[in-house]
Amino acid sequence: MKILIVAEFAVGALKKSVHELSSAARAVDAGAELHALVLGPGAGAVASELASWGVGTIHVGEGGFETYAPLRWIRAIADVSKALNPDAILMGAGALSRDIAGRVALRAGGSLASDCTGLLSGGGFKIVRPTYAGRVTVGASFSGPGPLVATLRANAFSIAKAPQSGAGTVVNLSAPLETTDLRALVTASVQAPGTRPELAEAAIVVSGGRSLGSAENFKLIYDLCDVLGAAPGASRAAVDAGYAPHSMQVGQTGKTVNPALYIACGISGAIQHLAGMRTSKTIVAINKDPNVPIFKIADCAVVGDMFQILPILTEEFRKLLK
Amino acid sequence: MKIAVCLKAVPSTTADIRPAADGKSLQLAGVEMLVNPYDEYALEAALKLREAFPGSTILAVTAGGDGAAKCVLHAFSVGADTAVQIKAAGLSARGAALAVAAALKEFAPDIVLCGRQAIDDDQWEFPGALAELLDAPHLTAVTALLVAADGKKLSCKRRFNRDEQTLEATLPAVVSCDKGLNEPRAATLKGRLDAKKKQPALKTPTDLGLDPAALISPLRIDTYSPPPQKTPGKTIALQAPEAARELVRWLREDAKAI
Repeated sequence: MKILIVAEFAVGALKKSVHELSSAARAVDAGAELHALVLGPGAGAVASELASWGVGTIHVGEGGFETYAPLRWIRAIADVSKALNPDAILMGAGALSRDIAGRVALRAGGSLASDCTGLLSGGGFKIVRPTYAGRVTVGASFSGPGPLVATLRANAFSIAKAPQSGAGTVVNLSAPLETTDLRALVTASVQAPGTRPELAEAAIVVSGGRSLGSAENFKLIYDLCDVLGAAPGASRAAVDAGYAPHSMQVGQTGKTVNPALYIACGISGAIQHLAGMRTSKTIVAINKDPNVPIFKIADCAVVGDMFQILPILTEEFRKLLK
Repeated sequence: MKIAVCLKAVPSTTADIRPAADGKSLQLAGVEMLVNPYDEYALEAALKLREAFPGSTILAVTAGGDGAAKCVLHAFSVGADTAVQIKAAGLSARGAALAVAAALKEFAPDIVLCGRQAIDDDQWEFPGALAELLDAPHLTAVTALLVAADGKKLSCKRRFNRDEQTLEATLPAVVSCDKGLNEPRAATLKGRLDAKKKQPALKTPTDLGLDPAALISPLRIDTYSPPPQKTPGKTIALQAPEAARELVRWLREDAKAI
């Protein structure tokens, strides 16, 4: 089997999603011929890291990939796909794949499966993906035509080091710039302030609900996040009340998260919210109402006043983790 | 300016959706269908564009089963000029893109607006696939949209991972809309009455020159299952300091989560 991974990196290192993608590819077929495509300035510098994850051939595009232009990325991936004819193209489920994976699949002559939580071989591929915002899990099979373009949900695939790794062969892309590829182009990009992890990728998420009562009171959430290295989240009701930005919304009309630990504070657990976080490995809910729906899916239900509990929790972890 | 807006009917966000007993289908009978929430931002963006460019026309397009009529009615009730309803149940996102692309050929829109994702299949596939079929650039999940006065370029803002991006594109383009772009208006009583007098153009895939078989996804769904059920967990009901300390202990020793 031949699998192409679209590898994302930041500040000179592969993103965690690439560890998951390469592990998932090797889990599908231990003997798979693994290729990776890595685009952008500094792409060549992560080639050896890719080789250590069991990738045999690393296709590198630096020149002409300085500024993000979706059509340029799509052409590069589709061209490599046409040359290799892989069984699957894997991407991490995230901003990049949501922008381009559908178009890549069409151009590469394959089919898209977004946000997969399971990937197996079997007469082609078997995939598992949540739909209806997690209320229904779909099992599907694919045996062509063309490659399966699968985006894999963060934290859903276990990471396994490659049993052996070679040096990897680096192939530099010859991807001449086509002006039609610049019909949509990022002209400015400002990094959001702060050093907290990205919500969709975070290992720990601490979310607050409308009962926090104000944007100022969300400081209770942010303080705990900063001690735990967690990403802050919010319920739709809290976002709609203006206590937190939409980029923090967890749920059906916000982000889907899948962290190792999800701490819901003052969130009752409307079906839309549960949809966005129910696959979290460990769920803790803090609420003073013992009858809230979120307690039904919580591994640990803390019945109490979050305004009293959160500061103590933050202080306890500050002492323990310093 | 010719503005197209794509709408999909989806089950209500509060609907109780379950797999059928045999796991081969979903129980959707009697489930309330709504306009996909993200498509509402697209529709509002279309109305705002028409206000900014007087003389523009808005074509609403929808594809699907019976619920699609709801999209048409809603689009007319807030002021869409014309509508096309493609009658084809069980379309995949790709299939919908093929059908909508065919339906838009004659209208030749300057801009196509749609929601960033449909909240039923959550594929995030339709806008990009449609743009590919129309040979247009696409802009995903925008939270601000400005079309230049000459009607030839647009500028958008969006969140992309940790970055606040500004994107510029030439028209025609396909723009997918995110929450935060605008506040969708509600239909007025007059709008709702006027909507009843308008009729969409009804099309079948065959009318559009498409082979219905080509609209079915090669990704074959084998099973529908409910999410894994959780067994009830531990409850901590203590005074605040003890509750916090017990939670810390549980997280570290029992759950081994921190």
